[in-house]
Amino acid sequence: MSDVQIKKFVVTRFDPDKDEVPRSDTFEVPCQSDWMVLDALNFIKDQLDGSLSYRWSCRMAVCGSCGMNVDGAPTLTCKSPLSSYGDTVEVTPLSNFPVIRDLVVELDGFMEKLKAVKPWIIRAKEKAVEEGPYRQSPEELEDFKQFSLCINCMLCYAACPVVGNEPDFIGPAAIALGYRYNLDSRDEGASERNAIFRGEGSVYSCSFANECSEVCPENVDPAAAINQAKLSGLVDWAASLVLPRGGKD
Amino acid sequence: MVETHRHDVVIVGGGAAGLRAAIAAVEADPNITVALVSKVYPMRSHTVSAEGGAAAVTREDDSFEMHGYDTVKGSDFLGDQDVIEYFVEQAPKELTLLEHWGCPWSRNEDGSVATRAFGGMSIKRTWYAADKVGFHMLHALFQHSMRFDRIVRYDEQFVTRLLIDDGQVRGVVALDIRQGTMRAFLGRSVILCTGGGGKIFPFTTNGNIKTGDGMALAYRAGVALKDMEFVQYHPTGLPGTGILITEATRGEGAYLKNKDGERFLVTRDYGVGSKAELGPRDLISRAMVQEFEAGRGFSGSYGEYLHLDLTHLGEEKINQRLPMVRELAKVYGGVDPVYEPIPVRPVVHYMMGGVDTDIDTATQLPGLYAAGETACVSLNGANRLGSNSLTECLVFGARSGEQALQFSKGADDGNERAVRAQAEEEQARIDQLRGKVKGGEKLARLRVDMNKTLESGCGVYRQEDSMQQTVRDIAQIKGRFADLALEDKSKVFNTELVSALELHNMLEIAEVVANSAASRKESRGAHTRRDAPTRDDQNCLYHTLCFFDPAGPRIEKKDVTLGTWVPEERKY
Amino acid sequence: MARAAHPQAMQPKKPGTTRTAPPKMPDGFPGKGRYRTYVAFETTGLIYLLMGFIILRAIWQLGAGEAGWNGVMDAYRNPIMIGFHVLALVGVIFVGVRFFWLFPKAQPPRIGPVRPPPAAILKGMLYSVWIGTTLVMTWVLAGGAF
Repeated sequence: MSDVQIKKFVVTRFDPDKDEVPRSDTFEVPCQSDWMVLDALNFIKDQLDGSLSYRWSCRMAVCGSCGMNVDGAPTLTCKSPLSSYGDTVEVTPLSNFPVIRDLVVELDGFMEKLKAVKPWIIRAKEKAVEEGPYRQSPEELEDFKQFSLCINCMLCYAACPVVGNEPDFIGPAAIALGYRYNLDSRDEGASERNAIFRGEGSVYSCSFANECSEVCPENVDPAAAINQAKLSGLVDWAASLVLPRGGKD
Repeated sequence: MVETHRHDVVIVGGGAAGLRAAIAAVEADPNITVALVSKVYPMRSHTVSAEGGAAAVTREDDSFEMHGYDTVKGSDFLGDQDVIEYFVEQAPKELTLLEHWGCPWSRNEDGSVATRAFGGMSIKRTWYAADKVGFHMLHALFQHSMRFDRIVRYDEQFVTRLLIDDGQVRGVVALDIRQGTMRAFLGRSVILCTGGGGKIFPFTTNGNIKTGDGMALAYRAGVALKDMEFVQYHPTGLPGTGILITEATRGEGAYLKNKDGERFLVTRDYGVGSKAELGPRDLISRAMVQEFEAGRGFSGSYGEYLHLDLTHLGEEKINQRLPMVRELAKVYGGVDPVYEPIPVRPVVHYMMGGVDTDIDTATQLPGLYAAGETACVSLNGANRLGSNSLTECLVFGARSGEQALQFSKGADDGNERAVRAQAEEEQARIDQLRGKVKGGEKLARLRVDMNKTLESGCGVYRQEDSMQQTVRDIAQIKGRFADLALEDKSKVFNTELVSALELHNMLEIAEVVANSAASRKESRGAHTRRDAPTRDDQNCLYHTLCFFDPAGPRIEKKDVTLGTWVPEERKY
Repeated sequence: MARAAHPQAMQPKKPGTTRTAPPKMPDGFPGKGRYRTYVAFETTGLIYLLMGFIILRAIWQLGAGEAGWNGVMDAYRNPIMIGFHVLALVGVIFVGVRFFWLFPKAQPPRIGPVRPPPAAILKGMLYSVWIGTTLVMTWVLAGGAF
């Protein structure tokens, strides 16, 4: 077995039925050298304190469940090697989110923002299934592929200074997803989505802090999507003044 | 008082099958509503981790007959041939629909959908999206489902019991994980799409949530679980974590090598013939275990392993077609596959068995349907071919949505008072379990003990005495479960309580797997016995049914639906 | 301890079914690490605002005849004004570097069939124009002295 090192974990605890405000507990965990932060949390839950609550599932950085702040930085705990951290590790819930319990945060606000950008293929006329798939060249796929990689882990929301100050702001992941559909050659809904981008919680609230892209574990680069959307939203608006149903068709 | 919600159809599970069923139901009728009840938010469903691809007849030189034959042969002739014929015919339509809904399938230069080779498939017919097909399919389905306000999602609700009245299903009752109270979801039909139960084993590609909940629900309600002995070991998982390294690596040309650098699937006779690394999963997993037993495996801190060599594919191809594999190997395997081989070993991946359904996804309990890995329809028989499962979720997910809707139109609500009384009973039971602070047993200990005995008795190679030991061990662990003490007494987001309920489900499933395995006196597909190493079509060409019985699981037999293809020797 | 975020941050429109602890701003905001750089970047807006007033006043004084113009030139020789302009130069360089860093990200994937050049080349083009223009302007303002 790999070497074992004892590390201290300072973990946020919060039970709304018992605690007025969140507090913290400290645990000493014998950590193996190849462990991720999640492995230490599972050890705490299995062996030290069964009442520690947190979300996790796939443990391979694709389901997006296990996002938390570790030493202050939003991160996927299943992908954060303990070897990157010191002898004391602080685990707190994702910043910018209301906290339901311990390390579990409220997700429904994000789900609402996600739906608000209409993240589906919008077409005037749907193709019949008998006609087979749409043709899409590898170049057309490259256009939006990067922005389709979002696992909805919400680390970007936790890092964004605007999200914490402006509750209406649609936010990085949702904007990136909406923009992904705008770029998809099969979609015809760019005007509709650009109007949403210019509306309540608009993309123009973004001040290009770039923190979202810094923390994104999948290299989606939502900052790129948001700032490209600013320009295309503007172009769309200008075009709509000239042509009543302007924008991408 | 348990809060109730009434809809036309109730779907348990929000993965590929559940989402597809919900979409099928609401598209079939503009007036109905569907409850989508899941213990996690849908984008966390384990569908998301699938990597390789989804199969359907696509090329001019392919045919339904060929896909059908590959599937029947892959199933070691235990698959129901009417089901298989239906499946291969629906497959292209389902994958096309997903493409229309935005799924970013990888493309050929001319803009058509690309296909790749996959294990056991005689022609390239596996559609893929780089190597993140499950992720892209799940998100495409989930995003498409958001168009329909009539699909009402209830997230983080853990279903604990089916509500049954007058011999018919009337809905489900669930623990609201956030609030800690129970909710009843009443509907005239229920579809179980909760996935498989790989977490009963210690080394599995499966995520934490794959605990066989739907299978346990059906089982306790008197519905049989079919062919549960057939557990698929995927040949290439990372040692220790069990993280999946997709078969698509072999589809793109990767080699499997032993300690001596030998491509043992080519140099030795393991029954895969010229298919070599693209043979079916059961044959390759067995070959790998035999290599371990012959001392030709590498030794590591997590047991023995072999090498999956991608170094000859080149960086460009790996980045283009297998980017996630590269990332996983670097982060979790400690190697960059462009330059070094990946350490791999067989790990539990999929359950061919599940809730016994007919070709229309209906169970023996009126109003109850099942689709996806939860169900055993039976498409996959004794061994599943890679890339059939995602298509299966779509084809039978859609079928179950249509069928469950149809049933709900002809059904009534039953005795609602009796149904609500059951929900109240369940509230009391759960409150009692949560309050259980006195007891000698710990959750983690029971889980580890269950894992250990299943690994030893129901591994790749099995034999009578160790299977019987596992049967005894599980019965004993079930007894110990009654003495479980929980540390978390809180109501809000009590994940220890959820884990206890999941463990209870897993113990039921484990018992069924062990008993079913012990009852099958032959080797077929993924079920291999050292003491009965050959396939016995004379006596054993049947589906194993396992029923819940207070005296202990009861095994019965069910005929296999044969058809065009006559069982023959399974050689590649 | 991180400071409090807006109490409604990431709250769903439909209220949650249990009491939640209020959201907190990202750790390190505003004074630590990358957030400090970001806040400094935002603060350069003040420099631009002040500079705007100074230039407007200078232009206004153009209409006040030679005496007015000399008054403006005297004001520029004031050490505080020089200090401010040095600060402004630092600020402009900081903003320029940051802008050039972020500029490639804001390019659309392609316009018609044309993709933007790779980020390194784009940045190289921007720096070349910037430095080139600065050199030319300096030469002009020095009266073509070299």
